[in-house]
Amino acid sequence: MNTVSPTPDTFAVKDAWKTLPRGFWDIGTAQHFLRRVGFSATPEAVTSALRSSPGAYIETAFKEGAVLPRSEELKTFTDEAPARYLNMYKKGKDAETKRELRRELQREENELFRSFAMDWFYYVRESENSAREKFVMFLQDIFVVEQQKIKDPPLLYAMQQMLRDGTTLSYPELCKRVSREPAMVRYLDLDKNTANKPNENFARELFELFTLGEGNYTEDDIKEASRAFTGYRVMRRYKYYQSEKLQDETEKTVFGETGKWDGDDVIDLTFKQPAARTFLIRELIKFYLTEEAVDEAYIEALGEQWADNQFSLPYLMKTFFESRLFFHPAYRGNMVKSPVHFYIGLCQDLRLDVAPFQTRVLRGMSTMGQAFYNPPNVRGWLYGEYWINSTTISARRQLVDYLFANLNEKKLNGNEQRALSAARKAGRGNFLVTNERLKQVLSLASDDLAKHFTTYFITAPSRPNYSKSLEEIIGDTSSEGSAKRVRFAIIALLQSPAYNLS
Amino acid sequence: MQNLPLTRREFVRGAGGLGFLAFSGVAPAFLARSAMAQTPAPERDRSILVIVQLAGGNDGLNTVVPFTDDRYYNLRPTLGLKNNLLELNDDLALHPACQSLHELYGEGKLSIVQNVGYPNPNRSHFRSTEIWETASDSDTFQREGWLGRYFDNDCAGSPETESADTDPAAIHVGDMIPQSYLSQESHSLFGMKPYGKFDRGQDPADLAYEKLLQADHIEGNASYLQHTMMNTLVTERRVEKIISKYKPQTTYPGTKLAQSLKRVAALIHADMETRVYFVSQGGYDTHANQLNNHQRLLTELSTSMSAFQKDLTAHSKDDQVITMTFSEFGRRPAENGSGGTDHGTAAPLFVMGSKVKGGLLGQTPELVTDATKDLKYSTDFRGVYSSVLDKWLEADSSKILGDKYEHVPFV
Repeated sequence: MNTVSPTPDTFAVKDAWKTLPRGFWDIGTAQHFLRRVGFSATPEAVTSALRSSPGAYIETAFKEGAVLPRSEELKTFTDEAPARYLNMYKKGKDAETKRELRRELQREENELFRSFAMDWFYYVRESENSAREKFVMFLQDIFVVEQQKIKDPPLLYAMQQMLRDGTTLSYPELCKRVSREPAMVRYLDLDKNTANKPNENFARELFELFTLGEGNYTEDDIKEASRAFTGYRVMRRYKYYQSEKLQDETEKTVFGETGKWDGDDVIDLTFKQPAARTFLIRELIKFYLTEEAVDEAYIEALGEQWADNQFSLPYLMKTFFESRLFFHPAYRGNMVKSPVHFYIGLCQDLRLDVAPFQTRVLRGMSTMGQAFYNPPNVRGWLYGEYWINSTTISARRQLVDYLFANLNEKKLNGNEQRALSAARKAGRGNFLVTNERLKQVLSLASDDLAKHFTTYFITAPSRPNYSKSLEEIIGDTSSEGSAKRVRFAIIALLQSPAYNLS
Repeated sequence: MQNLPLTRREFVRGAGGLGFLAFSGVAPAFLARSAMAQTPAPERDRSILVIVQLAGGNDGLNTVVPFTDDRYYNLRPTLGLKNNLLELNDDLALHPACQSLHELYGEGKLSIVQNVGYPNPNRSHFRSTEIWETASDSDTFQREGWLGRYFDNDCAGSPETESADTDPAAIHVGDMIPQSYLSQESHSLFGMKPYGKFDRGQDPADLAYEKLLQADHIEGNASYLQHTMMNTLVTERRVEKIISKYKPQTTYPGTKLAQSLKRVAALIHADMETRVYFVSQGGYDTHANQLNNHQRLLTELSTSMSAFQKDLTAHSKDDQVITMTFSEFGRRPAENGSGGTDHGTAAPLFVMGSKVKGGLLGQTPELVTDATKDLKYSTDFRGVYSSVLDKWLEADSSKILGDKYEHVPFV
């Protein structure tokens, strides 16, 4: 297999973004595709993907109208909280009453945030949602908002749903929507930006982190652009509105062009910059393809095509995910899975439900380095090798151990016992691997079993090296204790370096 | 000691890559060699902190009982404890199950800090545990734990060297890394199980894992992962060896907590450089049938802690170690309708060790007759932390906790 990264000499730029020829769409490429676009490649998923094509798969996965169900509690809170906040601020209340009202709101927000997080994990676990939600995660790592700063679950939910809808838009249009999204307006202080007292936070991140990258704009561009993004406000806590009164109507000069620009105009001007053609593509490559530098010639070529197609996101995704470059052998099986990928991938590979315990799931994610909606800073997570250190590796091992352990229901606290019975009622009670499940495979001989496991769980490049060891671990499947040994073998495989890669 | 790379890029670029290639073919020997390698001379007089988490919310009023207060018995007609109480002074007594802790109290080796909590208490297990572990205010959110921030501060300039012969910064017993340990920088953390035979690397689950780690891995992220995992495994082997050879000087009960503490004692006895240990006891969420359950839980706590202290003393390590309990909250003063208590607020905690000053510290909680009301804390838990950090671990608590808190004079 050719594992040397492609260069324009070995792999022509003009071919890189052409559609993968039909004849190459096989089990190997389909597994690579499914694990990168989503989180796992179960045999059923592979079979079904092979009946279709990468392009068709993308079109189905990103069809319009997907919505993460919003809980009744969150709906009610979204409807009622603005009035409750107003009431809290009303004059004539003593400080202690005010504090008490605020505390109660915060307590509810905190609980709603955690159940929103759990709802999202249940949702992303369903294979039909995986590809789209992974792309939403990609966008969330560009348009970062931290729950540490924006604690309103209604806003966090709305922002995520907006990005979900945004997968069908052009990128400039998405940027415009982001600039009007209350969570972002507050996160990057747009609501504090006025003509007299400019706040440059949003304009700077728009250029640096959303569209162009460092070095492709001047400090003057930021200053001038900030004046265009005036009048962006949030009312009744959750609702965006444009204040014409606060808008700076004077002329601004951004990227050398002078006019009475508003925020949308500035975004349009930004996408006339050459850097806007390649910025998102570089991010896409880092997130989905490789941490290694990819030759600029490839990136520029796709950038041209993308710009010719009005920066359409559906166009970009389809072209990227069905391209020959995306399937290049050098890019297979060497990306570190993110914690979400690792956990959701495990659930899908093992046909498990997401455990209904907040501590287990949310704290577990945090220990592995990816707390829901809480990236370390405005740059987002760095992905790739940065996920790996001794703490996170131990946390991943512990997660696998947990999935194969017995549940001691007596040790659960009251909340957890309620969560467990609710999950069982909702048909989501199957979140640990039982011995019965393991017994089903014992009819195979150890060499077949080793082959079966490696093919099932591991991306191609690492397979041959594991089969032999697995065979030795499993030993004779008809002899005593074989069920146990199979269990050890699977656990070890899921904790191995190769399973941490996709 | 060689500084090993922290990211794969450094690893591939730097000398780490070459070093790694040199041993990747002979991994079993490497493992064996490192496991037996001499550890650097430990600093024998280092102070050590052991945290015992009482998960679920320990009922403070039935731990330290205000037996002369009528309001207590009015609030708890069926749960109020009357007999066999272990008196601490004229008004307060320990739960009858705390026999051994009571003895330690008599010897001046147990401090009881009363009514510990924080402003604007949160009654969610998840959130309140998070507040205790991150030492944050009730309405601010932090990812890093208070001990993690201590590692960041204390070990500044020496981030994780994933080297085989360095001891972990912190060790925990249990299947999840405590949030208290999470840090900005990466430090080597190690987790172990409370039970299970450590058969000198003969545990088949681990052997299976080790076997796969020794397979050839492709360059890049795969070998970087392999390298990181191998180093963790080396630590595991060393810990296993220490534990399997350990001869405790007392008989530990068979309970999970006692067995966890026995393992901690073994590592302390072996002079590991690790200064922080974390063990956990679950089951304190006593909404129903509290009398029996709480009796069992406190018996386990008391006998385990005292066995640990006895063992440390016999090994002359008792001067080096303090052991501190915490729980996410206490329970409601008024009992509920199912023979239990609901989530509450402040509660006492224990600090044990030969070097603690002993006695009752802080104010006794003021009981009210209103059955819906909770206790109001009088000692901020961060005051307890700041004493541990400043007076025991010789760190700077204001840097770690972001503020100065009044010390609680138990050390």
